[in-house]
Amino acid sequence: MSNDKSILLGAVAYDPKVVTIWEGIREHFQSEGVPMDFALFSNYERQVQELLKGHIDIAWNTPLAHVRVRQRTNGESISLGMRDSDRDFHAKVIVRQGAGISSLKDLEGKTVAVGSSDSTQARILPLYFLAQEGVDLSRVNVVTFDTDPGKHGDTGTSEIDVLRALHEGQADAGTLGDLVWVNEQAAGHVDSARVEVLWTTPGFDHCMFDAHPQLSPEKIEAFKRALFAMSWENPKHRRLLELEGLREWLPPREDGYRSLEAALKTK
Amino acid sequence: MITEVAVIAVDGGELPLGGGLLALVRPALDQLQPGGILAVLSKSRAVREDLASWCRAQRHEYLGAEETADGSDRHLISRGRFSVPLNPHAEKSGLESHEGRLTAAEVLKVAPMPSYADPISGFAPRGAQVEPGGPSYPFTLNERDRVAPAEVAVLYDQAVSAQWDATADIPWSKVKPLPADLERALIQVMTFLAENELSALYLPSRFIAKIHPAYAEVAMFLATQLADEARHIDVFLKRARLCGRGLGISSVTTSRSLLSLLQIEDFTEAAFLLSVLGEGTFLDLLSFIERHAPDEATAELIRRARNDESRHVHFGLAHVRAGLAADPNLYGRLESAVRKRAATLHGINGVPAPLQDALTILAAGSTQARAVAKGHDAFRELLETMHLNRVRRLGNAGFTPAQAQIISELHTPNFM
Repeated sequence: MSNDKSILLGAVAYDPKVVTIWEGIREHFQSEGVPMDFALFSNYERQVQELLKGHIDIAWNTPLAHVRVRQRTNGESISLGMRDSDRDFHAKVIVRQGAGISSLKDLEGKTVAVGSSDSTQARILPLYFLAQEGVDLSRVNVVTFDTDPGKHGDTGTSEIDVLRALHEGQADAGTLGDLVWVNEQAAGHVDSARVEVLWTTPGFDHCMFDAHPQLSPEKIEAFKRALFAMSWENPKHRRLLELEGLREWLPPREDGYRSLEAALKTK
Repeated sequence: MITEVAVIAVDGGELPLGGGLLALVRPALDQLQPGGILAVLSKSRAVREDLASWCRAQRHEYLGAEETADGSDRHLISRGRFSVPLNPHAEKSGLESHEGRLTAAEVLKVAPMPSYADPISGFAPRGAQVEPGGPSYPFTLNERDRVAPAEVAVLYDQAVSAQWDATADIPWSKVKPLPADLERALIQVMTFLAENELSALYLPSRFIAKIHPAYAEVAMFLATQLADEARHIDVFLKRARLCGRGLGISSVTTSRSLLSLLQIEDFTEAAFLLSVLGEGTFLDLLSFIERHAPDEATAELIRRARNDESRHVHFGLAHVRAGLAADPNLYGRLESAVRKRAATLHGINGVPAPLQDALTILAAGSTQARAVAKGHDAFRELLETMHLNRVRRLGNAGFTPAQAQIISELHTPNFM
């Protein structure tokens, strides 16, 4: 862990905007009297490794990375905060109109498009929940759009791929996160005559700031103080919050990761 | 804190979320305070899955659904706190036309200008519901007392209906050749007028971009002022060129005087020096030229220009009066601006010679010695009239007779 006074945060560079976001947040932290710097990784596996080695103080983690950090520190890592949008995430099962699917059981024998193999919302949890609902996945022809491996579905590219496959008739059904689904609808990108929602999975939580178990209480308090001082009404903050996909930072909670923990065990 | 909770209902029929339902839901939510309840009636099965997700994405609270007697779903949504807030200054009454006319002054009654305007509202028209968190705009003129006198809407209405056509509204066909000396004098006068009006076109344009759009009527009035100046430049130069001898002299005195005007950074100081002192003085100059105009066309174009200029003077006076009423220190600032400008023009003694001679000959109507003597007297009388009227105007603006006397005497010999 870094001994200097500044907090070193890790984030995964899944898009060029990540630089803008963390440059802006660093500037905000500095204005709050909290020196902070960031290191960008190309994938979450490496980021988790470096956090566990203490090379970075805090990691901005996907749910998959968060659950791994919890497991590998025996629950001693310190969760610091999450986005409002990280709470009560859901996945959706979308079907092509005319594919003859009116219940989850009908998915058996059909082609189902799913997102990246490490995407919580577009693959891991929807398939887990479908199995929980009694769908025999061995009878489902699962087609994976495995874009951006290591990014844990952050780019959303695989979810857009799933939607396109449905529109183009390459799949009968597909799974994706609720935010991409409603945002694509709200933007007018979904043809309601061709695809519609069949089912919504139970809720789960998404990203989390994970701190190394030995991070000093001073740095933890300073980080939280600066983070929670960001406000949607502040034009400078708002731009960063928009880019990061939230309206406000919220305190951490762990219950929302139980389903993912269970899903990883069944794998 | 407003605790009023309104309830609104929309009937979405079978519309899916991404198939038009949001066009009903979003505007309905915009009419509610945070915490207000929207009921969405729907026969769409997909909406059961999607509405809660959309609420999550938009930070509204989805309260659940119940089935109605006809088998529809009745979804309830509580408006979240991150949407565009209702306008606390929403207009209470509608606009009404009178005898088929709808004036800017009537608009001002319905939507009064705020005493202060927030740069965050950007180009949002006054009265619009502004979403918070937008970027800050570089509008530095954002206090009503320093920018927007109450008379501005009436002056704007007058300006719009008083626009005229420099191509066709002047009896150009009545221009006849004049004796050469008189023509040269007329060319010189027109050249001088056009040069000064060019500065009057450029100076206000520097401030328009700094005026907060909450005071748009001021920018709109200034736009008419710019259009006026453009037309004046046009007619003055046309009249000069009808003589067929090109243009006259541009003197260093005029050039220095106009540069010192263009370099003023403060809007009120600029309004004072340009409109109250400069254009005010021009009213007397234009009266003089109209009185001694050698033909009907010249008299007509000068008369029209003078009408426009008197509106500019009126606005400048209103602007300065409002500023003085709000800030007694403004007297000192304006006097010091006049002194500062006079210092930069130090050493310039009297009206630019080419103009003085041209005005004398124009008033004389010929180059005969006796006529020229009369022309010279008329010119001296003009200077005295300009001074007396400046003092009177400064008195109207709120200056004491002693202050008015000093300021008038310090005014540029270039008139503008």
